[in-house]
Amino acid sequence: MSSGTNLSNKHYVLDPKGRPVRIRASKHNKVNRSPAGNMLLFILMAFCGLFMILPIVMIVNNSLKPPDELFQFPPRLFVRNPTLDNFADLFVLMGETWVPFSRYILNTLIITGGGVVGHVLCASLAAYPLAKRKFPGSKLLFSIVVLSMMFSWTVTQIPNYMIISTLGINNTYLALILPAWSFGIGLYLMKQFMEQIPDSIIESARIDGASEIKVFWQIIMPNVKPAWLTLAIFQFQILWGNTGGMFLRSEELKPMQFAMQQIMAGGAARAGASAAVAFIIAAIPITFFLVCQSSIFETMTTSGIKE
Amino acid sequence: MKLTLARKKSIVGLIFVMPFLIGFTFFIAYGIITTVRMSFSDVIVAGATSGVEMSWNNFVNYINAFTVHPTFPEVLGTSILNMIIDVPLIIFFSLFMALLINQKFRGRTIVRAIFFMPVILGAPAIANALLAARAMMVGGVSPASPEVMASLGSNLNVDVNYYLYMLSDLAIPETLIGYIVDAVHRINNIIIASGVQIVIFLAALQSIPPTVYEAAKIEGATPYETFWLITFPMVSPLILTNVVYTIIDSFTTSPVVTLSYSTIFSDYNYGLGSVFSLISSLAVCLILVIVALILGKRTFYQT
Repeated sequence: MSSGTNLSNKHYVLDPKGRPVRIRASKHNKVNRSPAGNMLLFILMAFCGLFMILPIVMIVNNSLKPPDELFQFPPRLFVRNPTLDNFADLFVLMGETWVPFSRYILNTLIITGGGVVGHVLCASLAAYPLAKRKFPGSKLLFSIVVLSMMFSWTVTQIPNYMIISTLGINNTYLALILPAWSFGIGLYLMKQFMEQIPDSIIESARIDGASEIKVFWQIIMPNVKPAWLTLAIFQFQILWGNTGGMFLRSEELKPMQFAMQQIMAGGAARAGASAAVAFIIAAIPITFFLVCQSSIFETMTTSGIKE
Repeated sequence: MKLTLARKKSIVGLIFVMPFLIGFTFFIAYGIITTVRMSFSDVIVAGATSGVEMSWNNFVNYINAFTVHPTFPEVLGTSILNMIIDVPLIIFFSLFMALLINQKFRGRTIVRAIFFMPVILGAPAIANALLAARAMMVGGVSPASPEVMASLGSNLNVDVNYYLYMLSDLAIPETLIGYIVDAVHRINNIIIASGVQIVIFLAALQSIPPTVYEAAKIEGATPYETFWLITFPMVSPLILTNVVYTIIDSFTTSPVVTLSYSTIFSDYNYGLGSVFSLISSLAVCLILVIVALILGKRTFYQT
């Protein structure tokens, strides 16, 4: 480190490993790019952005199309005579369901909420000792979890069904919520992010007499907020799209996604209502996502790391 | 009883791990162990409640997979090759995108919202909605009624057509469209597959203390140097994370997993299907170990 100070008058900086690195002295101390470079970046981003936004534009436009435009060939991207009839049709269909539609919405909220909160909590709790409080066997445990992620869940469906039957939670919300708590990906992500928290900040908390749970809750979790918000987004989307599959057989336990798929399965006669369904299915996760992502970007202001 | 410090530490650690571990044992580990057992056995499923009968069959499933099954070795090879091509592209693209949308510029809120679309588009619910919408655009029929689709002779895989129609609606000449559709098709797949990675990189970029950048700026570092000497080393642990995630993610939708799924659930050959999924998982493992060895030495860990 002392050599760094000796070299300081010759345009050296220390890289993260503490080695001095010579830097080119820039003629004009401007961090900005040239206008041409900016333009190029803009075009590139506009191009990529166009392809990312197209499907959403299509979903929105489709939901506003009257039937004759929905079936037009070749299809058009933008709606000519926008109408809200599709949504009106959808509400009529919703009123005709066997169990009240609000019940489907409640089911989805319970499954998604329980799954997301439980997954983030379980994964973070387990990741903390694996990243920062290593104990004998912690490395082995982590390897096993990573190994398990390589298995496609589609293949282990039969054993999963068997164990859920054995536990007696078949045809309850728990059949979907509990397995969601133990996906390896959450533990993996949280451990990777927690490892980046400097040990010194944990040490200082401990010296000040903080208990383990307090260190976890007040030091670790706020510092990895981007990570667990990210995790919440993934988990939300996985559970949001769940139709209950083979685990939920009672109609009054089925999530909203199931009811929506039934409407979409109506074929050509319900094309308008299906387009409205597609809009609603897409709109809610996007909203959840936008709320979460703005918090991801606000995190640094609350973080307390100062080295 | 008096506990040593190390003992105390491991007990605290175990208490933290416990909730996850219990769920993991029941819902993940049990499934995998059963799959391994099935791969060595003749499997008879007696019924949903009465369970599964397995009897040891001297590696017959493994021998069949490589000698008798017509397509498995080829499908496995294709899956691995696809992965090797796609993974670096996805990693570069997502790091690039994360860097771009992490910058401060006018209107970045809306740009971020747009560039986060792949994360949302990758979700199963949206994917279904999109498939329905696309099919409607091409055939006017919801994909949920496969009989109608089949009778019309239309193909569910309408990605390319769907972009083609969109672009011609935007009044772009057709020759140009044909030329870019192919490129776009590949870009589209990479964009859709890189959503999670973009978010992981962004979270990593957000965890770099701004003081480091301030110090570099004061020392007169150029943006180029700032990237290679600060940003890149600081996100490097998560490059490995992202590679691991990408490999796993691209494999769960690969042809070999589809093959093992159809072997189990269409042909009811549980043993052979388990072998397919085991061998492909082992192949992924091997690739991961190699990648981790290569990247591990170049990874910078903050201490």
